[in-house]
Amino acid sequence: MKRTSRMLLILLAVLAMMAAACGSDDEAEAGGSEGTEAPGGTEAPSEGGEGASDAKAAFIMVAPIGDAGWNFMHNEGRLGAEEATGVETAYVDSIPEGSAEFDNAVQQFIDDGYNIIITTSFNYMDATEQFATDNPDVVFEHISGFKMNDTNFGNTFGRMYQPRYIAGMAAAAASETNRIGYVAAFAIPEVIRGINAFTLGAQAVNPDIEVEVVWTSTWFDPGVEGNAAQALIDNGADVLTMHQDSTATGEVATEAGATFIGYHSDMSAQVDAYLTAPVWDFTPRYTEILSSAAAGNFTPESFWGGIADGIVDIAIPDGSPVAAEMKEVRESIINGEFDVFEGEIIAQDGSAITDADGNLVVDLQDSFGNDIGAVGDALNDGILLGMSFFVEGVIGSAEG
Amino acid sequence: MRLRLERRDRPLRGGQVRAFVVGVLIAFAVGAVLLVLSGHNPFEVYQKMLDSSFGSWRGLSTTLTQAVPLGLAGLAVAVAGSMGLWNIGAEGQIVAGAIGAAWVARLGPDLAGPLLIPLMLIAAVAAGGVYALGPALARSRLGVNEIITTLMLNEVAIRIVRYLQNGPWKDPTANNFPVTPELPAQAALPDLFERSNIGLLIAAAVILGFGVYTARSAWGYELRVAGSSADAARYAGISLKAKIFTVLVLSGAIAGLAGGIELTGSSSRLVEGVGGGYGYAGIIVAALALMRPSGVAAVAVAFGAVQVGGLAIQTTGVPASIANTLQALILFGALAAGVFGNYRVVRTAAAAPAGATA
Repeated sequence: MKRTSRMLLILLAVLAMMAAACGSDDEAEAGGSEGTEAPGGTEAPSEGGEGASDAKAAFIMVAPIGDAGWNFMHNEGRLGAEEATGVETAYVDSIPEGSAEFDNAVQQFIDDGYNIIITTSFNYMDATEQFATDNPDVVFEHISGFKMNDTNFGNTFGRMYQPRYIAGMAAAAASETNRIGYVAAFAIPEVIRGINAFTLGAQAVNPDIEVEVVWTSTWFDPGVEGNAAQALIDNGADVLTMHQDSTATGEVATEAGATFIGYHSDMSAQVDAYLTAPVWDFTPRYTEILSSAAAGNFTPESFWGGIADGIVDIAIPDGSPVAAEMKEVRESIINGEFDVFEGEIIAQDGSAITDADGNLVVDLQDSFGNDIGAVGDALNDGILLGMSFFVEGVIGSAEG
Repeated sequence: MRLRLERRDRPLRGGQVRAFVVGVLIAFAVGAVLLVLSGHNPFEVYQKMLDSSFGSWRGLSTTLTQAVPLGLAGLAVAVAGSMGLWNIGAEGQIVAGAIGAAWVARLGPDLAGPLLIPLMLIAAVAAGGVYALGPALARSRLGVNEIITTLMLNEVAIRIVRYLQNGPWKDPTANNFPVTPELPAQAALPDLFERSNIGLLIAAAVILGFGVYTARSAWGYELRVAGSSADAARYAGISLKAKIFTVLVLSGAIAGLAGGIELTGSSSRLVEGVGGGYGYAGIIVAALALMRPSGVAAVAVAFGAVQVGGLAIQTTGVPASIANTLQALILFGALAAGVFGNYRVVRTAAAAPAGATA
């Protein structure tokens, strides 16, 4: 026992000495990069890399970046923004939520002179807010949350329901059984909104379409998600889609000879049955954040962008019989002529939610019973963000 | 010619230190090859690892903060391990401790910090102990293997958090995201220096206290006797059943404390990942400390430094896969060294029967 402690002490002493020897010059470096903000008031950097600014951006991801899915798309966005702005970027992945490791990673980046920190998982939100308070000279952007401040902390998310609507059109055209299976993660407004938009899009092509939903209570669990997908196939679905981070649903679709609509990224390389997918593209948004932060004129906002902003989109499959209609809808969403949730909306039980003008005919509450809309209100963002009901044609419970 | 391991009559004196240093050095050398092959300068990378973990007050404080849950989890495993029991469930007990602490915060959100924090930590200790009750009873009364029961309960603990955040403890202000509410601000452990909070002092007191107590007291001696020979223990009048029960519950309680300190120290709300893998890392810490509570503190600090350094080099562009491989190499080198302190490699004739080489 004494021997063990002694040898560890010796090792520690050696390590400490080496660290002390190496430490001094590195600290000098770190000191040099402190407080060297980009001069304010310059014009916004043009595309193509200025490289003159001292801005450095760091990205924190919750899981390995892999080759498809949420974290992969953030890394694509990072690379795209780096190329567009010339701002140096770095990332760490596999950082668990609510852990000291997240704090360590962010602090390490800040100590290394990074002055833009982008955190890409929901439960990073509180810690990011705290760092923003403690480091007023660093710009923070949190993805998929709702907190922000007035100076150096904003949030970003996308109106994924827009491409979901178009994906629903493609799905309906591909279905012969008039039944589409939807493997869904959690019964939260984001997912419910996507299911409703998808269903409305499908019904725009074929009013008889039904969309069956199975909840997995997972974001990434290929086993559970594959089983859910199989259950939907067994119930007669011949098109599957999902709101998850794995491609398990696609693999089941391939095996069953069904059609697969993906999510997050182009999954044609991974899934044979792949038709198309609503996808994220963080490059435009990250380019905007990096260039404004580098120019010293970052303004925090609660950014909820759509297809028009480039943060979400969908590839129109050329072979689809409704390709022309999908293109048309995409264009009219971009130029603001069409909104996914406009006009009359009927709830799952057949009762009306909105009239033909898109105004509520019932009072709406979120899943906690908080009021989110009263009779006569337009179906605004507040209602979308608290959406807790299914539209007609969805099979399953919106309560999860 | 075949090689086989033969137990030394007695552990090598200077040999063990040598083996340990050589083991870690070999790991660094292999790691250097890996780094060169992936296009990184190993000297820069190792310098960054050292600098980030020990090179400044902030680095040292980060390392020590990381060592807190590692050390407590390692102690939990080592306390059980010193009497030959395997508590693989520290991860779940950490989560249970965090649930217990979060529950107190729900019950008394308006209590003053100096009252609330101790209550949360006491609840964490109790919850960790209670979570180990089942395996402790099953092992001591029925002889059910504690490795299986404690391991399986890890997954259960995470599911309980998932249930709480999707159901009864769901935060009504979180835009319907399935998360538990934020803890009250006064539930955060007060800062000590740089990135460390007073959880460091609590953990140090518990780990060092247990180290001295198990090494010096009759209780600790009985533990080791029971661990090395059940018959000898019985002959000496030690009640094995009671001992097994107490030690497993104690082990769970220590892990529970780690959960309480993690929740109050570095988390703003109870989340699924609160265990952070520390329960599993604690098994490695305990193994490196040769299952002796007195060795846990030093190992935890060294392990914490490796983790902090491993993360820091990722911020300089070393991919997580390489950084994790490096960490694993260092730990493996250190663990393997422990073996060569007690065993030596001997050659045997090729003609030796296969059975002899087992």
